[in-house]
Amino acid sequence: MSHESTLPEGDLLVVLRHGPHGSLWLREGLEAALVAAALGQRVSLLFMGPGVAALAANQQRGPLEQKGTLPMLEMLPLYEVESLLAVDEDLDALGLAPERLAVPAERIAPTAVAALMARHPLVLNF
Amino acid sequence: MILHILNRSPLDSRVYRQAMMAMGPDDRLLLIEEGVQGALPQLVRHFEEIAGRLFVLREDLAARGLEGQCDDSVLVVDVEGFVTLTEEADKSVSWF
Amino acid sequence: MRYALLVQGGPYSHQAAHSALRFAEALVRRGHLLETVFFYHDGVYNAARLLAPPQDEPHLGDAWRRLHAEHGTRLQVCIAAGLRRGLLDEREAARHGKAGASLEAPFELTGLGQLVDAGLSHDRLITFAP
Repeated sequence: MSHESTLPEGDLLVVLRHGPHGSLWLREGLEAALVAAALGQRVSLLFMGPGVAALAANQQRGPLEQKGTLPMLEMLPLYEVESLLAVDEDLDALGLAPERLAVPAERIAPTAVAALMARHPLVLNF
Repeated sequence: MILHILNRSPLDSRVYRQAMMAMGPDDRLLLIEEGVQGALPQLVRHFEEIAGRLFVLREDLAARGLEGQCDDSVLVVDVEGFVTLTEEADKSVSWF
Repeated sequence: MRYALLVQGGPYSHQAAHSALRFAEALVRRGHLLETVFFYHDGVYNAARLLAPPQDEPHLGDAWRRLHAEHGTRLQVCIAAGLRRGLLDEREAARHGKAGASLEAPFELTGLGQLVDAGLSHDRLITFAP
């Protein structure tokens, strides 16, 4: 669990609230994050609600060969996006213990979300 | 101070809880579109913790036949007031 | 103040575009500059060239074009979100071997970088989503 003083600051916070495959929200949110990072902005990602499912290991391509979003998450370090945070209650609700995550994310308490928003001048919600 | 904007009814989704979770102690919440249902006396208890910082958009109430039916604790603003709320906030975050 | 709007809801399916336009009109009435409207996610459908609502419904495409004509607001459509949903200007239509464009000026296809730029360089960015 993180204390407020350790929360990241940045230019842009992208909040991802939808899981993979069900809609384009997650993919299009990640695309915005990657583009911002490629332009040199400091980007933080917050996974919240059903969006924490984006972090799960063993995701596969969809039945029509949809790529899914895991490859995008795996590219984040190349873009120097290192602040990945997820709401601990939501991870727990889906049984996503750290060993079940494909990509590591810092667990934060729901009470830390407001402080995280305040530390980024721009917040985009997806 | 952040202006949060919510367009979902507490009857329909838990998104309002995400918005509440993300609110700091001075942040404000504006209910628009179907979100205005949250301003009714029967549902306003979901927003108890932010009494005095809860706003609702008059035009969206009126269009739904709900004008005049809001709980007294909710501050009713028109679209010009919506603009003012965005002026007064450092930034806004929309919840949908 | 300098404002940008982010519209993520398709026309007519949800209230998002109506809400954004209503807000846009109030903004300019109050003397603010509405410099950019960025269309993303299903919001890109607002730029469809052939929107043909019944005459007794507001024409959202015309309303956006009016905003551009009267206030110089840029109408920017995410190219990646637009292409995958079939919104192509003449150049993209030619590049993809399609007959006819589905998007035309004053709407412009542009990269997501413009959204990031709008968000960081304007005083306010307000999102309207479904």
